[in-house]
Formats: sequence, structure tokens, C-alpha cells
Amino acid sequence: MLKTLLFSTCIALALSACSLEPVQPWDRDLLAQQKMQLVADPLEIYLDEHTYFSKEASSGGQSVGGGGCGCN
Amino acid sequence: MQLKKTQRPRNIRRQLAAATCTLLAGTTHAGSLIASGDNWKIDSALLIYAEKDRVSLAEGVLNIRKEIDDDEFINARIVTDVLTGSSPNGAVPSNTAQTFTNPSGNSSYTEAANTTPLNHTFKDLRNALSVEWDTPFSRSLRGTLGGNISREYDYLSTGISVSLAQDINQRNTTLTLGISLNKDTWDPVGGVPVGFTAMPAFPAKKAIDGAKTDKTVKDILFGVTQIINRQTLMQLNYSRGQSDGYLTDPYKILSVLENDGSGNLRGTNPYVYENRPDQRTHQSLYWKGVHQFHNENVLNVSYRYFWDDWGIQSHTVDLRYRFDFDGGHYLQPHLRYYQQGAADFYRQTLTDGEENTLSYASADYRLGEFVTQTIGLKYGFEFKNGAEINFRAEMITQKGKDRSADAVGILQNQQLFPDNEAYLLQGGLSLDSDMVIKYIMGFFKK
Amino acid sequence: MFSRLSALSVTLLFVFAVPAFAVEPAPDFTLPTFPDDREISLKDFRGRVVYLDFWATWCPPCRKSFPWMDEMHERYKDEGLTIIAISVDKKRELIEQFIKKTEPAFIIAHDPSGKVAIAYELRAMPTTYLIDRDGQVVMTHMGFRSSDKDKLEATIQSLLEK
Repeated sequence: MLKTLLFSTCIALALSACSLEPVQPWDRDLLAQQKMQLVADPLEIYLDEHTYFSKEASSGGQSVGGGGCGCN
Repeated sequence: MQLKKTQRPRNIRRQLAAATCTLLAGTTHAGSLIASGDNWKIDSALLIYAEKDRVSLAEGVLNIRKEIDDDEFINARIVTDVLTGSSPNGAVPSNTAQTFTNPSGNSSYTEAANTTPLNHTFKDLRNALSVEWDTPFSRSLRGTLGGNISREYDYLSTGISVSLAQDINQRNTTLTLGISLNKDTWDPVGGVPVGFTAMPAFPAKKAIDGAKTDKTVKDILFGVTQIINRQTLMQLNYSRGQSDGYLTDPYKILSVLENDGSGNLRGTNPYVYENRPDQRTHQSLYWKGVHQFHNENVLNVSYRYFWDDWGIQSHTVDLRYRFDFDGGHYLQPHLRYYQQGAADFYRQTLTDGEENTLSYASADYRLGEFVTQTIGLKYGFEFKNGAEINFRAEMITQKGKDRSADAVGILQNQQLFPDNEAYLLQGGLSLDSDMVIKYIMGFFKK
Repeated sequence: MFSRLSALSVTLLFVFAVPAFAVEPAPDFTLPTFPDDREISLKDFRGRVVYLDFWATWCPPCRKSFPWMDEMHERYKDEGLTIIAISVDKKRELIEQFIKKTEPAFIIAHDPSGKVAIAYELRAMPTTYLIDRDGQVVMTHMGFRSSDKDKLEATIQSLLEK
């Protein structure tokens, strides 16, 4: 049930994206800022992922690659 | 003002628009200001992570990024971490002292009554290197090829990854596809224990199945990144991964109780090594939104739903809000909430004989039902030349679901899930190689 | 949907190619300049070859093109080349900071609302329009890569010779 709900939300989101007004190249000043990147501080995210990888059963989701550890 | 007096056929204009799904440059939506030119961009961070009475970790990361050709980058990351301290071994606390054999089989240790049994032998040095090559194939298509290797005294991890990012819709939408393959090798101290066999009392030796074992992990990810408006960006990923091989933790055990409901450990061989399936398929849906408000503050929020065929489901919400102040200062509070359900074979204890009837069981708290909460604050300062220095402090608490009511006999008075509290301190410095050279030159001139 | 697909395939065809379009008149505009804040119009430069560049301080390849544009300015200004670099930055201070560092000798104009960019149907940052002595757009070039320099310079030369 939850999965179905999530999937349909995702599809709805994806479809709504199609009707968006495109942002023009000259209007991308804010989107070009480092703080507006999906991963604004890659090292912070790397360290967080490494920490939680060794403390929780879930990992990944944001990107592929990185590598594992025999963490305790 | 019109570019043309005669109307250009509409489809040509549209093709032109698509042809220029460009904007080029940098990472997904233009790189950092200081990543341009012939210089190296250097990011570094030092992390201190300390759990109350358990593990402590110091981790240093150095990341170097260099533009080797127009819009083509090499990125190398070197990581070293040192881990000391103790980690729960899987056994439950008892009202009497408990004696365990070290993984090496050469000594034993005793835990006091009513305390969470820990394995005290963790002293680990890990070195890791990862290298990425990020290159454009066209104005709208980029590829990244990566490799990584990580070495601990008892663990070796090697992997490769490939990802492609295609911009469409006048570069307002990016489709990504990523795959990765990891091959990890365990070389556990004292060999690979046979699942469900007894942890023998020192000096007897445990039953082993060779000195080394390994696993492979394959992952695939599909993602869509969408620019919503001038201030908002969203990402949605679906990923699926499969692990095959030895997925058990060779150092973790389970307490085996008498089956009389007393909660007492059985008289002989009270501990057995855990045993997990040799395959796991996990999937996740990941959503992230980044929004800049009119006051220039930025909200970065993500949600992940994760599930696997071990019966684990988890929800993660992560929220960072950056307040920008005059003069390049910023403050960024961070909140994270993680809730996980237990694996089907998660057991806090076994009762006598179950090790012969069950296929799998693990008392590893990481496969249990718990909530992790994180609260943190980061301070950063951006210099005029693009360099940045930052610090953050966070507190992480892990709390298991209280199952003491289900516990039998004397265990009802014990803390069966090893709740955890940890503190994290991090300092970071980012700069351009140019600045380092200038500084060194200046130093020698003096 | 099909048009989007065909558009996509055209995208792939265009890969690194420089799209050149039929000659058409360059839309006129009037914009303030930097740092002296006077008004210029494109029509003031009729009779000269105009290298019209749209850029922004937040666009890395744009910034990279500045030393090269300066070189072109020095080399060809006496033969009739005018370089006008229109910034689409929203804030004046950003341009001021950048100009202080790079000190370009060519003309910097400011189009904070993007109205000229709209008139030129700008699709990428940076985009360069090469305009001949008669005010016709002869070439539109998107992006700036080191490998584009020779082709751009050759076009400048051929326009100056006309």
C-alpha cells in the first residue's frame, strides 16, 4: 500500500515537471551557486554516509559508487 | 525586438532549442566558482566521531579536483580513518558477569553483570582512495567513470562505477543512469566462523570455514533532476542493489537461553555465531529538494524510503537549512530522522535448540528496530577569494524499540537493545591550489 | 512527443558542431555600459564587425573566454572589430568585482532583465553572435571551449576581410 502510494506520488511529480515553465539560461544565477547544488558540500555528505552506513541497515539512494567497509 | 523579419519555421526553432539543451560547464548546474581555470580545487575535512563508552573514530579526507580539459575533470579522494573502542558483540546483558572469547581465539574478556557486552578489540586503520573521471560526451551528455579501493586490516573493498547524465528539456531536466560493482573481501581475525556454531570458551578454537570470504554488491540507479524554477531544484532517484556472498558479520554472536522461560543462558555453549542469508536485494526511492528563499537562505531537504528482501524497511528524512549572513558567514542547522524496521531474522536471543532449526538469525542491533535522530549545527565562512572554512557539531542518538515486555524471565530487567549516543565534530577547509602556492611563496619570501 | 524525440536526435547530431544559421538582421538594443555607465546601441557600430557575447559572472566558461576576447580585441580592433560583452547578471556589484580583476579593454554592457537575451533567443551561456558590417548575424556560437577559438577567429577574420 505504502509502496503504491509512493510510486504514484513519484509519477505525479514526474508528470507535473512536464508542464513547468523552463528556466532560461540567463536566469540561472542562483542555480549556479555552490549552495544550490544537490550536494552542496560533498565531503560532509561523504562523511555522513560513511557514518550512517556503519550504524544502520540502509544505505545509498542518492548516487552510485563509493565503496564499502567492514564497519563497526 | 525580433531576431528575424521572416518567421523561421517553428520546428527548426524547436530543434534549435533542443540542440542547445546546454548551458554547459561545471557539475550538474554549473560548478563551483573556484573550480575553474588551471588550478586544483582542494577540499579537506577532519572528523572526530565519539560514541559514549563505545567506538571513537578520527577520519581525515582530502579531495582534489582538477579540470584537465574544457569541462572535463579528474577527482581524487583520499581517506584515512582510525577507529578504537568497543562495539556491541550481539550478546544480551545478564545479571551475572559474562566471559567471551576474543575473535583471535587467543584470549578472553569478561563483561560485568547488567552491562551491554562489547567486543573490545576494535583497533582499526582504514585507508581509502577513490578516483573519478568526469567528462562531457556532448553538450547535453556527460559521463563519469569511477574506481575505489578501501583497505582495513581485515577487510578489502574494491569497486567501479559508471554513470551517465543526459540533459533534456532545454537543460531543465537531467536524466541519470548509474551502475556500480563492488567486490569486498573479509579476512576476519581468527578465520570465518561457521554460522550457528558455538563461540568456544578460551582456549578452545572456533569452527571456521576458511580464512577469507567475500561478497559482491551490484547497484543500479535511475534518476531525474528537474529545475522547478529559478530558485528550486528537485531530484528523484530509484535504485536497486543486490549483494551476494558472505553478508554475515564474523564478529557477532547471539546469546542462547535455556528454554524454560527463565531467561538464563544455557549451561554449555551459551553463545553462537550469527548467520545471515547469502543474498540480499534492496531498493530505495530517494527524493531531494533544494530551494532558495528571497532572503537567500537555502533549504535542502530529502526523504528516502528503503526496503529489502530481508524484511527491513526504513524512512529517512534529512533537513538542512542554511542562513546566510553579511560578510560571507553562514549557519546551517541539520536535522535527520531515521526509522528502521527489523529484519525478519533479527533475534535478540535464541533459545536452546533454535540454532538447529532456524535458517538465519542475527542479534546485530543494526538489523533491529530503532530510530536514529541527529541534530547538528554547521558554521561556515566564505573568503572573498572563494576559499571556505567550516565547522560542525552534531549529536546522534540511536534508540531501539523497547521489547523488554516480550523478554523472558530475568531478561525483562535488562536493556536488550544497545541504545547509543554519539557526538560528531568536523572541521573543513576548501581552497584553490593557487592560494596554497601564493601562501608558500609568501612564506619563503619572508 | 515525436517532435521532442526528433529534437533529441537533432541534439545528438549537433553534438560538438557549431550551429550556423541563415543570415538575418541582428536586433538592435540600447544598454548601459561598464564601468563608465554610458548608453550604447548596436546600430552605433554599423560598419564594424561586432562580436556580441552574452555572459555572466556565475558562468565558468564565460569567465574563461575573457582573456581570449581581450586578445581578439587587441589584435583586430584597428581592423574594425568591436567586442560587446553583455552581462546578464542581476546585480551590478558582481560585474564590478569581476571587471576590477580582469580589466577587459572591450565593451561591457549590462542586461539585468534579460530583455536583449530574449530578443536574441539565447539558449546557452555563453552565446556569441558574430555580426557583419551590415548588421547581419552571420554566426551563432554556443558555449566556449578552447577548441572553439580557431574557428571563431577564422570567422572574425573572414568578416573583417569582407
